[in-house]
Amino acid sequence: MTTGIMTAAPALRDMPAHGRNTYDPAAVRGDFPILSRTVYNKPLCFLDNGASAQKPQSVLDAVQNSYSREYANVHRGAHYLSGAATEAYEGVREKVADLLNAPAPETIVFTGNVTEAINLVACSWADAHLSAGDEIVITQMEHHANIVPWQLLRDRKGIVLKVAPVEDDGRFDLEKFAAVLTDRTKLVSVTHVSNVLGTVVPVAEVTRLAQAAGACVLIDGAQGVVHQSVDVQAIGCDFYAFTGHKLYGPTGIGVLYGAAERLASMPPWQGGGDMIESVSFEKTIYADPPLRFEAGTPPFVQAIGLGAAIDYVQALGMEAIGAHEHLLCNHAMEALRAVPGVRPIGAAPDKAAIVSFVVDGLHSMDVGAILDRQGIAVRVGHHCAQPLMARMGIESTVRASMALYNTTEEIDALAAGIRHAQKLLA
Amino acid sequence: MDLTAYEDYAETLEALDDEMRFEYLLDIAKKKRGEPFPEEAMDDAHLMHGCMSRVWIVHDIDEDRHFFRGHSDAAIVKGLVTMMTDSFSGLTTAELAQITLDHVRRLNLGALTTQRQVGMMAMLKHLQKLAGARPGFQAA
Repeated sequence: MTTGIMTAAPALRDMPAHGRNTYDPAAVRGDFPILSRTVYNKPLCFLDNGASAQKPQSVLDAVQNSYSREYANVHRGAHYLSGAATEAYEGVREKVADLLNAPAPETIVFTGNVTEAINLVACSWADAHLSAGDEIVITQMEHHANIVPWQLLRDRKGIVLKVAPVEDDGRFDLEKFAAVLTDRTKLVSVTHVSNVLGTVVPVAEVTRLAQAAGACVLIDGAQGVVHQSVDVQAIGCDFYAFTGHKLYGPTGIGVLYGAAERLASMPPWQGGGDMIESVSFEKTIYADPPLRFEAGTPPFVQAIGLGAAIDYVQALGMEAIGAHEHLLCNHAMEALRAVPGVRPIGAAPDKAAIVSFVVDGLHSMDVGAILDRQGIAVRVGHHCAQPLMARMGIESTVRASMALYNTTEEIDALAAGIRHAQKLLA
Repeated sequence: MDLTAYEDYAETLEALDDEMRFEYLLDIAKKKRGEPFPEEAMDDAHLMHGCMSRVWIVHDIDEDRHFFRGHSDAAIVKGLVTMMTDSFSGLTTAELAQITLDHVRRLNLGALTTQRQVGMMAMLKHLQKLAGARPGFQAA
């Protein structure tokens, strides 16, 4: 599929600098303008990618090109620019389908973010298909975005929310999960990768168990799609949600994959323009999915930026990115364990490159503030996962979340920064 | 209005570079270790909501003047809370209402980290709400 953005932002596979045969973080870093800046006169060491990742030049160019050369509203104009924007927007739907190995672009719904995608499923599918006493299963590791929409539904419909446990070291136990399922379980909504622990949930097995119990499955892929390749057909899930800004794309664009028969069974959740076939005051006929769920002007410029981001990661290769991040994660776990008084939170085998920790006697916020002064950006706090904090018996953690452009030197700087904080706060 | 404590802090901070300001804040927090915050006041009723760390503020009135004591489980925040409670204790409701965000900006902690400055502004509003110096708003 050729789209407008390809002319402005040539596919990275045409660019030799990335060294796709041998992964070269230094060359990759050159693609991200922000990484060359300093903060407090120190080189920026950006380890807060789990919150949002930085953007390569090709994404910035695609957004700039969309606004400066190909901008008009999509799906409605009888003119050249609208056609070009529509072609670019719909072209991204194809790219997303390819990224997730979804069977068709029509199974890809654009949303604002994962939160909106989950709320869409809650307000449309779950509202239409669940009734009082039906059970939804989540896990102790969920982000608030995969807790609160179901609590709202519980309050509306009287459904029951059940929680599968996580082990002390962050492992996910399939047997314990299976024990939570009953013949009333109608939906299993789980994270693919914990945003705090880095635990990778075996979502294909979870899906198999859930569907065997008669439940529909939604995967929160906010952290999942970033660190590994995702194949929704191999997983077999009914829904998979991810967000663009954590995948090196713009903010304001998210994705909900839905199996065709699920989407077809769902009523609209927001009404407005673009989601209808015809409207009269007596009767409105809704558009087919995915447009049925995209009322109003969609974030099409952001979607075009997401398309460039997908081109970027696919040119590097998700396997190569995953392998690099795996090295970073192992290096980080070793480096942190070598600092006396540092306790990693979450040590599941083969976890994604998200490393949370606490430092004995120090508040996470103090550690984060002192790291910040050294140019090291981490997140501190409960990471929108307060029930998980309660489960682990802690108030907060410091979290270093790594991306395709991070280096082992940055991890070493983090470890040195923690030692500095210990000295300063002693 | 007597802002001697505030002026002392502002003048000291003006004379320091960023790194030294940071250590100064930690020093303020460490000095307060000798004056334990009442444990019974570390409860939900005294909690200031919306902070990344926990912050407790005790508010007393003597005659028509307001006095504040504060505490946090994070050292840097404890330094900031101490600076604010020291600075603006002893004022009347009318005087407190005259304290503006410019007073916070003058401390120039934004250069330290922007989060700290935002937190200080929230703290000022919280003190004013406790003292009834922000009509229409209640401390939460």
